Amino acid sequence: MTEKDVPRISLRKKLQTVLTFTRLNTKRFFRDKLAIFFSVLFPLIFLFVFGSISRGGGKLSFKVAILNDSSSSYSTTFVEQLKNSKIYKIDKTVNNLTQAKDKMGKSQLDGVIYLNKDFGVVQNGNKYPSGQVEVIYTQNQMTAGQTMASVLSASLSGINAKFVNTKTPFTVSQNQLNEKSLTTFDYTFAGLLGFSIIGIGIFGPVNVFPELKKQGILRRLHTTPIKVWQYFLSTMFSQSIIGVLSIAIQFAIAISVFNLKVVGNYLEIIIFTIISIFMVLGIGLAVGGWAKNDRQAAPLSNIIVFPMLFLSGTFFPRFQMPQYLQSITNYLPLTPVIDGMRLLITEGKHLTQILPQLALIALWMVIIYAIAFRVFRWE
Amino acid sequence: MKDVILKVKNLKKSYDNKPAVDGISFEVYRGEIFGILGPNGAGKTTTLEMIETMREIDSGSITVDGLDVATQGDSVKQIIGVQPQTAAFQDKQKLSEIIELFSAAYGEKVSAKKFLDEVNLGEKINNFAEELSGGQRQRLSIATAIVHNPRLFFLDEPTTGLDPQARRNLWDLIREIRDKGVTVIMTTHYLDEAEILCDRVAIMDNGKIIAIDSPIKLIKDLLKKGFHKEQKVEQANLEDVFIDLTGKGLRE
Repeated sequence: MTEKDVPRISLRKKLQTVLTFTRLNTKRFFRDKLAIFFSVLFPLIFLFVFGSISRGGGKLSFKVAILNDSSSSYSTTFVEQLKNSKIYKIDKTVNNLTQAKDKMGKSQLDGVIYLNKDFGVVQNGNKYPSGQVEVIYTQNQMTAGQTMASVLSASLSGINAKFVNTKTPFTVSQNQLNEKSLTTFDYTFAGLLGFSIIGIGIFGPVNVFPELKKQGILRRLHTTPIKVWQYFLSTMFSQSIIGVLSIAIQFAIAISVFNLKVVGNYLEIIIFTIISIFMVLGIGLAVGGWAKNDRQAAPLSNIIVFPMLFLSGTFFPRFQMPQYLQSITNYLPLTPVIDGMRLLITEGKHLTQILPQLALIALWMVIIYAIAFRVFRWE
Repeated sequence: MKDVILKVKNLKKSYDNKPAVDGISFEVYRGEIFGILGPNGAGKTTTLEMIETMREIDSGSITVDGLDVATQGDSVKQIIGVQPQTAAFQDKQKLSEIIELFSAAYGEKVSAKKFLDEVNLGEKINNFAEELSGGQRQRLSIATAIVHNPRLFFLDEPTTGLDPQARRNLWDLIREIRDKGVTVIMTTHYLDEAEILCDRVAIMDNGKIIAIDSPIKLIKDLLKKGFHKEQKVEQANLEDVFIDLTGKGLRE
């Protein structure tokens, strides 16, 4: 007898094996209520929590009282402008500083805009009116007060330029790219998608693999001619199907309940989702494939997942981090996923415009799968 | 000249410098049921695992139907069927799907009904594996290991934990598989089982084979040495009583 007696399994057949495994495991998934809960319903809970927190809010606005001691016509115009601005919600019941202080103490007011009696008066020797806007706030409203002061000073410098014609060598020009303005929720949503991709890609296999090993199911499979790559590929496919479905539900709820504005192309979003799941799943395959049991799998996956959750902008925007931290977290595997999602969904970018993110994902994919294949154990 | 399907030569394996399998050699002939017997820790399972390509060989060689296990493991996997000691399956998967899954793993596509019928589980085709009894699960496990028409079929303690009815049922099943031309290699702790089922047995102890022959020949050899067992007048034993009282019908 020679090896010729045993026909080689063709690549075509091997791929059919992958598809059969994908189909049967996906079918199985939909019978598993616990698995459905963790990969589909669990992210929805976060969606509702974060969605409710940021609902309606997000746009910059301050509750202020305006105290105008000036009788100049200019001050009246200025107050009128403030009232028309969407940034300020003016509390008209406040007539003096004592009342304002009381309300600020109760956090009912962010601050007071005070115009003294000289405001808007043309001073001796000048051709134009001048004055000082005073922003009064308490320690509690420090951030709001400071922001308000800088917003005011920005608008005042615009006004100044009209009166005093000086050259300003340095200016900032603002250029908002998307026509519709971003709300906090639009911003958070991409992070939530990143979170659910982690659930599907990492927690899925990390929970399942040690159990399959414990029962000897993987070992039994290892006595068949199936290869690791076939097993990985079928897992990648079935987790992508589940992932796309789970994310589609999140989109539906985000759009209908939380007014998510999707500017991007859905096909591109789906493709990017699948690529992202492939990459993140590699981490799950590496950890779950390496671990002999739950006691190895759980701590290792937590060590990997938690820093990513906090540092890649899942729940907190990364721009709030100090610069050095941002420059490090730029390169975490989940960061390009969340950034890419945000660019596609809310800024209407195309896949060809997020090449840096795609390149970083591809790089991580190579590294992660190289490790996953090396450390995989069938038992 | 016997048709040799498995040839093991001077096979060795040690864990932490302790020999588990200590230079064993034996041959298995095509179409027989071959038993490997021995106390716990004798090296039975390690030997099986090396033949099944699951464990690396320290030294020596194994040839399965002309294929070298060390270098042609992938082809070997295609012509052997393995039934592990504990038959475990993923839950929430129907029997038909489990058969489909395993046949796909071997690169085949088969009729699940046909194979489930063969192990007497045809009616359970739409049940989940977790709904099966121990004996049924063993039979399902056998079905998953023969979907690719293997030439060599390994069973590791197949009847451990089964009731007498289920054991007898499994013996019949193993004989049926042998009658189809599949060579069967099994380990067991039940010597009555080995005596009834196996054409030849190898007895292992401390990693070595200390006897190898047909059960009848081994018994004759022992008697020739002058072994004398207290004569029993009874022509039946307690198991016969049990089967007489409870019948051969499967309980599950």
